[in-house]
Amino acid sequence: MAEHVTCQEVVELVTDYLEHALQADEAALFEQHINFCDGCEWYLDQMRTTVAAVGRIDEEDVPRETRDKLLAAFRDWKRG
Amino acid sequence: MTRIGVQHSKASADEAELVARLRAGDERAFEALVARHYGTMLAVAQTYVKTRAVAEEVVQEAWLGLLQSLDRFEGRSSLKTWILAILVNKAKTRGVREARSVPFASLAPEGDERAIAPERFRGPQDGFPGHWRAYPGNWGATPQVALEDRETLRVAMRAIAALPVAQQTVIRMRDVEGYGSDEVCAALEVSAANQRVLLHRARSRVRAALEAHLDG
Repeated sequence: MAEHVTCQEVVELVTDYLEHALQADEAALFEQHINFCDGCEWYLDQMRTTVAAVGRIDEEDVPRETRDKLLAAFRDWKRG
Repeated sequence: MTRIGVQHSKASADEAELVARLRAGDERAFEALVARHYGTMLAVAQTYVKTRAVAEEVVQEAWLGLLQSLDRFEGRSSLKTWILAILVNKAKTRGVREARSVPFASLAPEGDERAIAPERFRGPQDGFPGHWRAYPGNWGATPQVALEDRETLRVAMRAIAALPVAQQTVIRMRDVEGYGSDEVCAALEVSAANQRVLLHRARSRVRAALEAHLDG
């Protein structure tokens, strides 16, 4: 195990870190780096913000044809 | 009620209410549920069948299946887990009919993909190789309103829609819908490690799109 990680390595470890998938010694190196490096601290914050933004997507465009078909099916179902 | 149970109970209560509205024939509840899950269902279906057109049919079949079994839904699993089970079932049946029996191999992450272009880090000839040339933006100092703006969300949605299907499916399931990693691995038949690589690549690309939008 290396004694430190570079910024370039940190950006590739972010998801494993957030997923708690790093080994204890890797996680310690990661956190040690974040504590001393503003750039990587901000990057980690950007990734968290990204996850939060994606989590706010609450609906997507359903093609009109599909929506109409499904609504028709729902009405049929309602009638039993 | 214990404190730990509060969140879960609230979600189950909301869900029980939604199911009750569906059973009562509430069209707006049904439309909202479809809008909420459509993108993810389509992405998952596309990992099993050959074309988007067939994937759309699979999604429609899944909704019909859901309506037919709505009376039997007992709330033992969450609604979204139940929806996913019906979808995967329909998609597998269709995938087998189409003789596309092993689409999953194509879900393995391909090639080497960097979260950040190598030029943004100092090279081996510079002092501090591997360190940022210029720091990324401090979004903690960005007004909250810009981060929560409708347009910012649209940028994220467009970035997701442009992802390769495997990455798109994983980020939709994990971050849009909130499925657990175990559910994603089971539905897509990918390993935990591959699921994380796909999630990482997807999140990294969406972050880059947000960066281009927010930091210009």
